[in-house]
Amino acid sequence: MRKIWRDVLIFSASAVSIPLVVLLLIRLTPKPPVAKMEHALAVLSEAGKNKADTYSRKLYNEAKIFYDSAMINWQKENKRFIYFRHYDRVIMFAELSAKKASEATDNSISTSSNLKIKLKEKIDTLNTLAAQIDELFNTYPLTSEIRNRISKGEILLKEAEIVYNKGLYFQANRKLTDCEYLLNESYEFASGNLKNYFKSYSVWKKWVDRTLNESKKNKDYSIIIDKFSRKCFVYLSGSKKYEFEAELGKNWVGDKRTKGDLATPEGMYKITGKFDGGKTKYYKALLLDYPNDEDRQKFRSEIEHGSLPASAKIGGLIEIHGNGGKGIDWTEGCIALTDKEMDLVFRIARVGTPVTIIGSMVDLKDAVEK
Amino acid sequence: MKNKVLMGLAAIAMVAFLSSCGKVPQEKIDATNAAIAAAQTAEAAVYVPAAFAAVQDSMKAINAAVEVQKSKLFKKFGPISLKLDATLALANKAAADAAVKKEEVKKEVETTMATVKATIEENTALMKKAPRGKEGAAVLEAMKTDMAAIEASVTEAQGLYDKGSFMDALNKIKAASDKANGINTELKDAIAKVSGKKPVVAPAAKPAVPAAKPAAKPAAKPAVKK
Repeated sequence: MRKIWRDVLIFSASAVSIPLVVLLLIRLTPKPPVAKMEHALAVLSEAGKNKADTYSRKLYNEAKIFYDSAMINWQKENKRFIYFRHYDRVIMFAELSAKKASEATDNSISTSSNLKIKLKEKIDTLNTLAAQIDELFNTYPLTSEIRNRISKGEILLKEAEIVYNKGLYFQANRKLTDCEYLLNESYEFASGNLKNYFKSYSVWKKWVDRTLNESKKNKDYSIIIDKFSRKCFVYLSGSKKYEFEAELGKNWVGDKRTKGDLATPEGMYKITGKFDGGKTKYYKALLLDYPNDEDRQKFRSEIEHGSLPASAKIGGLIEIHGNGGKGIDWTEGCIALTDKEMDLVFRIARVGTPVTIIGSMVDLKDAVEK
Repeated sequence: MKNKVLMGLAAIAMVAFLSSCGKVPQEKIDATNAAIAAAQTAEAAVYVPAAFAAVQDSMKAINAAVEVQKSKLFKKFGPISLKLDATLALANKAAADAAVKKEEVKKEVETTMATVKATIEENTALMKKAPRGKEGAAVLEAMKTDMAAIEASVTEAQGLYDKGSFMDALNKIKAASDKANGINTELKDAIAKVSGKKPVVAPAAKPAVPAAKPAAKPAAKPAVKK
């Protein structure tokens, strides 16, 4: 009987003490930083969703490294005996990761939204520039290299817009930087060239005034060729009577310097010969006295100063002739009109009729606005 | 005394059993990691970025959950095993979706490239019909340069395509397509403007004064000098 009571007692004691021991064991187990790690992972994931890996790479990578360090330390601690585990370093790294990831999110949102605004402005500016280039220089004789740069720049601009609309701002920025370089450089070159060209405007103006005064004084015809607007004006007694489209030498910008440079000369000339029928291959032609004394002097000076090689030859046989109306500057330096217009000019012109060829009748600002 | 010892041993055995009843599902972890690596190889990060990021996040959460269980006295890996199954399926789906998307992009590049080439050919033909009046020919000259740039862009896109960079190739070919279409519209508009209209002829102006004084006797036909 006593034995039974003793067994019951032992069993009861065990039944109570074992769960107590187990509970005690559980209670004494170090608590893993679950909440901290979950928080760190959630913040890191949020940073990833906000493209921090792209727009705040440094902070995002730091956050990732801290998170990985937390995991490594956690794994290391878990290898130790359960009651010897310490999660302090895990917590520290988890907190650092969450902090950095949060900063990365803020930074990424602000960087990408600033970039979005900045790039939109850049796209608009470059579209304006491209339109301006097209408007100003579509018919201006630019080198093929510059034309290629403009075309390439415009395609890059389209590419940039496509990737911009996909939210790939860094990629768009890279393309826009290349595009900006190409378009700006082309614009600078072309506008510099144009500005340089218009430096002679005061001289051209004097020539025009003299030509018109002469026309007025002699009550006779004078012809003025405006290269920039590609116009041929016919004046009578100082008043404009006719205006035609003119086509020039392929390389019309600037004065003619040598034979074969495809430039249309600038200066005050006179008609020295009239050819029609089989005497010209351009329907009808009015020969000018190019090169005149001034042209010869300028040519010699260039040879002496070495800006032209000693072997260079001065050009000649510059005419106003027919076969025009092609819409491009195609001559080798002459001025081409349509045959119908040439009929008229041929009829009114005589040997000795002044022909003044200038860069522009108006200054650069007005010429560009026109 | 013998009973006491037996009871003690039973308690220890119970604790040991409870604390070691869960085993890390390492095989599943390895399989899931391999599936994620396969998805990465299939460029899931490029073609299905959101889905791939979700898979990566899920795997990170699983790794954390494994450590949570390892930290416990009584481990339980059952729910983790289920999550691993789900993540493995997601990774496989991401890889499959990426392959589908990649194929779609590839096809789109091929289609756009064929369209651009056709547009270039059409533009070349249209250029011959385009009006060459005032400045028309000069504009056509500028267009020719644009067309050459478009062709260069198509070649670059082809290079990217050959390298398997379909997304980059698509961006490039779309830009070329836009530009080629712009030229096409411009040319068609210019042709439509002049078709049906009489060609513009400059008004036959008459000289306001009597015919000019007789010209000097023309010299011989000028030789080409310029």
